[in-house]
Amino acid sequence: MRSPQNERARSIKRRLFALLLVPSVLVLAAGTLSDYFSAVTPIREAYDQSLIDGALAVAANVRLDASDRPVLTLPPEAVAILRADSSDAVYYRVSDATGELIAGDASLPEAPRSNTNPSRADAVYLGEPIRVISYRTYTNAGRLTISVAETTHKRDGVRRNILSSALAVDFMELGLVFALIGIGARLALSPLREVQEQIAQRSARDLAPLPLDRVPLEIRGIVGTLNRLFNTVSESATAQRRFLESAAHQLRTPLTGIQAQLELMAADEADVSKQQRLTFILDAARRLTHTTQQLLTLARSEEAANLQWELAEVSLPLIVENIVADRLAAADLAGVDLGAEIAPAGVKGVGWLLSEAVGNLANNAIAHSPRGAQVTVRCGTERGAPFIEVTDSGVGVAPEERDRVFERFVRGSNARGLGSGLGLAIVKEVAQLHGASIDIDAGPDGKGTRVTLRFPAVSAPPRPACASIASASFADAQRS
Amino acid sequence: MRALVVEDDPLVGDAVRRALTASGYAADHVASAEAAKSALHAENFDLLIVDVGLPKEDGMQFVRGLRARGKVVPVLMLTARDDLQDRVTALDLGADDYLTKPFQVPELLARCRALIRRANSVANPLITFGSLQFDLARKEASAAGQKLDLTHREWSILECLVLNAGHIVSKEKLLSSIANWNDDISPNAVEVYVSRLRTKLGRAALIRAVRGMGYRIDEISAE
Repeated sequence: MRSPQNERARSIKRRLFALLLVPSVLVLAAGTLSDYFSAVTPIREAYDQSLIDGALAVAANVRLDASDRPVLTLPPEAVAILRADSSDAVYYRVSDATGELIAGDASLPEAPRSNTNPSRADAVYLGEPIRVISYRTYTNAGRLTISVAETTHKRDGVRRNILSSALAVDFMELGLVFALIGIGARLALSPLREVQEQIAQRSARDLAPLPLDRVPLEIRGIVGTLNRLFNTVSESATAQRRFLESAAHQLRTPLTGIQAQLELMAADEADVSKQQRLTFILDAARRLTHTTQQLLTLARSEEAANLQWELAEVSLPLIVENIVADRLAAADLAGVDLGAEIAPAGVKGVGWLLSEAVGNLANNAIAHSPRGAQVTVRCGTERGAPFIEVTDSGVGVAPEERDRVFERFVRGSNARGLGSGLGLAIVKEVAQLHGASIDIDAGPDGKGTRVTLRFPAVSAPPRPACASIASASFADAQRS
Repeated sequence: MRALVVEDDPLVGDAVRRALTASGYAADHVASAEAAKSALHAENFDLLIVDVGLPKEDGMQFVRGLRARGKVVPVLMLTARDDLQDRVTALDLGADDYLTKPFQVPELLARCRALIRRANSVANPLITFGSLQFDLARKEASAAGQKLDLTHREWSILECLVLNAGHIVSKEKLLSSIANWNDDISPNAVEVYVSRLRTKLGRAALIRAVRGMGYRIDEISAE
């Protein structure tokens, strides 16, 4: 049986989902990163530019004083403006060619030289990360290096804003992709589900090929193989049925001849001892005929041999009438009162097999009843479900044997006569073939045996037999 | 009575011919539909016993052809198949009765007698049933030469039973045979008439009730 884990492991929908979702997530993540960087770079550029502007302004205000030493002539107000920032601390440092401090924050680190001027760098100052730009220039005050730096609070804030909004958009997109892939996978797999439902709705004995025109390309091969398999099974079932039919026919004719000839010879024979021997042979021929018939019926009642049977509307009253009329002579011989109770009932099935089953039940009932006992074959419909029932007031079947007597070649310990032990096995096979249940219990007043076959209920509770057949076939027509 | 057995199996054909001969028929046996046709061309038969599974033209086709040519001779079909549908088909095609192999000889003979009796009732109003004689035209019956005093309804029931001898006749069918003049008769009336008939018939014939199904008339074999 399939375990739920197995089902998960083999679900194409899940695989499709996983295979589409993982790359989608990666692509989305890459997109987010590129968005982030393309947004962050111009912002850093802009902030850097304001530091460069500061550095240029500072450079323009370095003069030589009276003693030919370079000094920063920026008024304190201007320095305050330079340093003014709501969120970040701004630092500057001016040094000469020898690195001697001219003005500003003495220990501010310089951005190392690079192929651009001003050069830029990230550094740490006073325990805080800073961005520093260093401008190296040659003025009338000589070589100067002007560094301007600021802490990175502003930049970090902007970066965080950009990142969080990018992530928010990203997650929304992810949700959308998730939903779209889900819908897509469902839609893409719907033809698969249709095929599965089509197969699931078929009856087990339906071996007609599945139509290929609406089957998706990807599983056309599988369905084609299935159709070939259906075909093989149906052909072998047909072959088996033909073989059994032919075997039944081929065996029955010579057995009939032997039996009839022996009957005539035994009746004509004047010599008592020869007549006795003929009667023995006749009995053996009858048993042989009976067992042959039972074996062939058993084989032909098996599900496998019946895949191709056309199930037809069968009138149970007709079967009961035929069986009772047919077994009347045997019942008379056994001194048994054979009767019927007939109410309308119709089933879909194989008529001759149902006949064999009811015949076997009647044979058993007659064989196991004492003289003067009653055997009744009943049919009818109970709460929409057709049934056939055979009751006798004979020796009965012990409760502990009731399940076993339906096995092949098993005879109850009370069994009388020369039965083959196949009769009830046939009843069981025929019942299974028709989806009927078998109940076996004691007869009406605790004596004898009652065997009941209950067939599946037909949709509409039938009134007269013909109406039930009409309504059943109408239901069929609607279904197909 | 002339009977023709059409059966390709020599063992069965011979047995049926012998059984018929032993009960007083002049019986012939042929093995094919073709041979049967030439036999029918040459002579008249009162009864045909035809196997369904004949070689070349099968029994069903043969009987259909026979009826198409307007032959009314009673036909009993034999078959080794057990499909109920076959029986229906055979009867539809014009066979009068149907017997499945293997059959017992007494059953075969009883069916033959019933067929001949029914066939004769059409052409000949005088028919015999065991020790009973019937004049269907005068609606009279007699047992061992003694005329039976039957009412109209008793006669109708007896006639219906005798013409369907060998088969169980339902109460409904018997009821409809006596209720033809918009009479309001209860089904129980049938029981009353059958009971009176039994008394009047005495030991000439046995009307047995088959519980839940109806009545059947049996010949009482002379002891």
